[in-house]
Amino acid sequence: MRFGRISKAVGIAAAAVLALSACATQGGSTSPSSSGSAAKQGGSATVVEVNAFNTFNSNTADGNTDINSKISYATHWGFYYVDNSLKIVHNEKFGHYEKTSDNPLTVKYTLNDGVKWSDGTPVTAYDIALNWAASSSYFDDASPDGKKGTAYFSTAGDPTGLNNTNFPDVSSDGKTFTLTYTKPFADWETAIGGNNGTIDVPAHVVAKKAGLADAKALFDLMKGMKKGDPSNQQPANETLKKAADFYNTGFDTKTLPSDTSLFLSNGPYVVKDMVADQSMTLVRNKDFNWGPTANLDQITIRYIGSAPAQIQALKNGEADIIAPQASSDTIQQLKAIPGVTVNQGHQLSYDHLDLNFYGPLADKDVRTAFMLTVPRQDIVDKIIKQMDPNAKPLDSQIFVPDQAPYADSVKNNGSADYQQVNIDKAKQLLAGKTPTIRIMYNKDNPNRVDAYTLIAANAAKAGFKIVDGGLGKSDWGKALGKGGYDASIFGWINPGVGVSGVPQIFKTGNGSNFNKFSDPAADALMSQLVQTTDQSKQVDLEKQIDQKIWGASYGVPLFQAVGVEAFSDRVTGVKYMPNSSGVWWNYWEWAAKS
Amino acid sequence: MVTYVVRRLITAALILLGASFLVYNLTALSGDPLEEFRASNQPNAAQLMQARSQLLDLATPAPIRYFKWLGGAAGCFAGHCDLGKNLAGQPVTQALGQALVQTLTLVTGATILAILVGVALGIITALRQYSALDYGVTFLAFLFFSLPIFWVAVLLKEYGAIGFNNFLAHPDIPIATALGVGIVVGIIAGVVSAGSVRRRLIIGAIVFAFVTLVLEVASITQWFRFPGLGLGVILIAGVGIAFGVTVLTAGLQNRRALYAALTTVVIGVAAYFPMQPLLNLATPLMIVILAVVTVAVGIAVGYFWGGYDRSQGMRAGGITAFIVGALIMLDRFMQSWPAYFDNGLVRGRPIATIGAGTPNLQADFWSSGIDTFTHLILPTVALVLISLASYTRYTRSSMLEVMNMDYIRTARAKGVSERSVVMRHAFRNALIPISTVVALDIGQLIGGAVITETVFSVHGMGFMFLDGISHVDPNPVMGVFLCVAITALFFNLVADLIYSALDPRVRVK
Repeated sequence: MRFGRISKAVGIAAAAVLALSACATQGGSTSPSSSGSAAKQGGSATVVEVNAFNTFNSNTADGNTDINSKISYATHWGFYYVDNSLKIVHNEKFGHYEKTSDNPLTVKYTLNDGVKWSDGTPVTAYDIALNWAASSSYFDDASPDGKKGTAYFSTAGDPTGLNNTNFPDVSSDGKTFTLTYTKPFADWETAIGGNNGTIDVPAHVVAKKAGLADAKALFDLMKGMKKGDPSNQQPANETLKKAADFYNTGFDTKTLPSDTSLFLSNGPYVVKDMVADQSMTLVRNKDFNWGPTANLDQITIRYIGSAPAQIQALKNGEADIIAPQASSDTIQQLKAIPGVTVNQGHQLSYDHLDLNFYGPLADKDVRTAFMLTVPRQDIVDKIIKQMDPNAKPLDSQIFVPDQAPYADSVKNNGSADYQQVNIDKAKQLLAGKTPTIRIMYNKDNPNRVDAYTLIAANAAKAGFKIVDGGLGKSDWGKALGKGGYDASIFGWINPGVGVSGVPQIFKTGNGSNFNKFSDPAADALMSQLVQTTDQSKQVDLEKQIDQKIWGASYGVPLFQAVGVEAFSDRVTGVKYMPNSSGVWWNYWEWAAKS
Repeated sequence: MVTYVVRRLITAALILLGASFLVYNLTALSGDPLEEFRASNQPNAAQLMQARSQLLDLATPAPIRYFKWLGGAAGCFAGHCDLGKNLAGQPVTQALGQALVQTLTLVTGATILAILVGVALGIITALRQYSALDYGVTFLAFLFFSLPIFWVAVLLKEYGAIGFNNFLAHPDIPIATALGVGIVVGIIAGVVSAGSVRRRLIIGAIVFAFVTLVLEVASITQWFRFPGLGLGVILIAGVGIAFGVTVLTAGLQNRRALYAALTTVVIGVAAYFPMQPLLNLATPLMIVILAVVTVAVGIAVGYFWGGYDRSQGMRAGGITAFIVGALIMLDRFMQSWPAYFDNGLVRGRPIATIGAGTPNLQADFWSSGIDTFTHLILPTVALVLISLASYTRYTRSSMLEVMNMDYIRTARAKGVSERSVVMRHAFRNALIPISTVVALDIGQLIGGAVITETVFSVHGMGFMFLDGISHVDPNPVMGVFLCVAITALFFNLVADLIYSALDPRVRVK
């Protein structure tokens, strides 16, 4: 009896242990020492980004954020990329493109054999065709107010250049893509390819999601359609609309989709894991042999918004590469961390003082006098020197020092006359006049306030009566170009590559020409510029335009923003890049120090 | 009761309507949503501006846009919520879900810990009113309360993470440091302990010697790199816990309760080795089952010891079993520490400054548990420090009020032991007002800890709110507002109902 009870108890206990082990981990990784560890070969690195990733299509207006573009760049490849001296580098192993005719401008793209998406499907000319269709807005016939007609693909870029083309030809083997422009287009080299020249949206996936068989079917569908005409709307093509809708929003996700076709790679890396708003992991694309082989086996991206948190993460070894917003605090702190290399350089954004070509500054002599009073060196000393001891005022309206033609252009563009403040000459030009000048700027931006204070103090010395026209953060932008001020201090971003941005600012009547600068000779040069397809001729024209702008006493560029990147002693190969690709521009050269 | 609830719900709905109208319009009119394109020199700035205007429906005046939004939000009652999309095109409902998870991960533990520690400190300071301990806790609570959290958090990261990780690389404690820490802790112990000067001196000296010795032993044995409790520590700590728990639940004069607690400790220690192979295979579900089994064993032990008041013995056994079980688990976590420490992704710097986990860490239950711990420890400490004050002060004053009640004097006059007076008569009644504070705090918890989130780089509700405001995008702001407002109103109601249920003097009409 007693024995029976004990054996029952033992039985129950045994059953309980069995039941518990039933809910134990499967696979039996028993010893506590066994745990996941990163592969040693090739190594890994952790990069910090400010914003969180949210879509695998970074070409749309909503998806075109810095982080989405960078991930797209790391996981895709194309005909070219831009290096850190802002030059276009051709990827001949991926394919070849050349201008086959100047009149009409014809460009032929040829893909190499073996280039394929990570699902095994070859990259074809139909993928390029989709890229063209999306970034040209070719089929859109929506009215300007968007109320009538159809807008198919959303695009973040300017569709004007590609819109003036004929429907492209694709060879029967799907390897060559020939594009004929109806109007010459200066930036034809960078026209095809989404971010940084990559072919990043697989046409066969978009086709399947629209109910079509393959990429060719999508191409044939587009071939059968006419170019959209906003003045003559047609009923929407349902299939293309479906494809476009998928293109616009179907790739949006913050977590790794179970459908692998949504994140196909044709570049050095492929996405392995995503944690919403926290991190993302890229691993090497094993198939990739149509470009440089990346050194790192794995790249982890973590999202950290605030600069101090980025610095502490680097210091604590949680991050290897960071690019926080530059400030003198940030740079000081970074330089104080042992074992950390700090790369500093210019960014493409720059501050400038513009003078209105109407009102009290309509007279060129008055403008020249005002420009002579601007203490550009003092402004740089006050705002930039503490971050970058070698900083100099920016001397060109068109180029930045990272571009090769800058040095040459500066010699002849007339900026030499404004190197020193010359109050006497300004007084001479004013000839006793005391014009009242209202300067508009963003008074919530401390740098602009500093610049204004220095400019106002010096201009007063020459006899100008300065009125503080500073407006708040949300008001100054609206006031641009609306009058109500005579001079303005704000920032622009140099595109780095391409010339389409030049007339946007400087041509008579154009959108960003806020100070109503108008010079027929410059206008003619700019019209010529946007139709010039030869790069060396473009540079010549740009230099002439730079000269014309300075000669018209347009205003003065002040300084470029400072950029900073820092990386730990566990990685090598990180090089400074002024444009928006940031540290990512040469990610394949990153390597782990063993 | 029902009419009261209905009335409160109707008021809540009206408040929600009015407040949402205000918040929507204030957000929509707070700035220029097109600001980022205004000074842009991109050739297609005009198109981008138009796209943004269409996305945000800027052609419609804000008050009318509110009603469009309200139409979508009203759909929540019909089962298909439409709270609009944020600027990235993500539906707000989806973004809210992700943000809510992140926020809750960050603040749940901190809130629970703050309540436990705060209430305990409040009671102790009330019982020892105007003692050095009372003044000390009050001073520290207000000090932490008044510190700016962004500063505390940055300091915590600098010393708690970066400094501590540097220390872990060479975990040697010089004898001078050990002595210094020993002296400081000894002085604190002497000050906060009760009794005559002589007794305080003795306590201080003992604590000083103990702390210094433990630090030196830890340094020599490289304990910080290879930590563990071991059977001995579990046994000694277990016996101490058994006594402590008995004192609180039954009083030492209830010998059977004490024996029950001690038996539980013995069973726990005996089960230590046999349990290890099973623990190696642990899953969260298994831990929960084991916890239930452990407590059940403790209760059973108490039951079998019997005695005149069996329930006291069962309580002592159950609580002791739980704590000893927790110690064994802690020991098992510590066994996994070296593996976690040397993991290629952790690279010998375990305490993290950002996020909620190491990316790509594929580890067993124990290592991933440690990973969560090393990531949440700093934000949790920061949040606990600043929220400690309110709980401590509320509990202290409420406990003091109760302790001065007539029925407490009556109980004492009857000859009820001090333990029973405090634990049975005073403590329970003192908790009634605290329940209100706790309920309201849970409502606030959803609102997120905006600054803590920024410093520790957590994209939770606070981040979503700030991001929406800075882009003049009302949709995410309204999403966060709805969540916070509804929980706040709901928990307000719950607090009132709980109060009336707990305190018979209060009746809702």
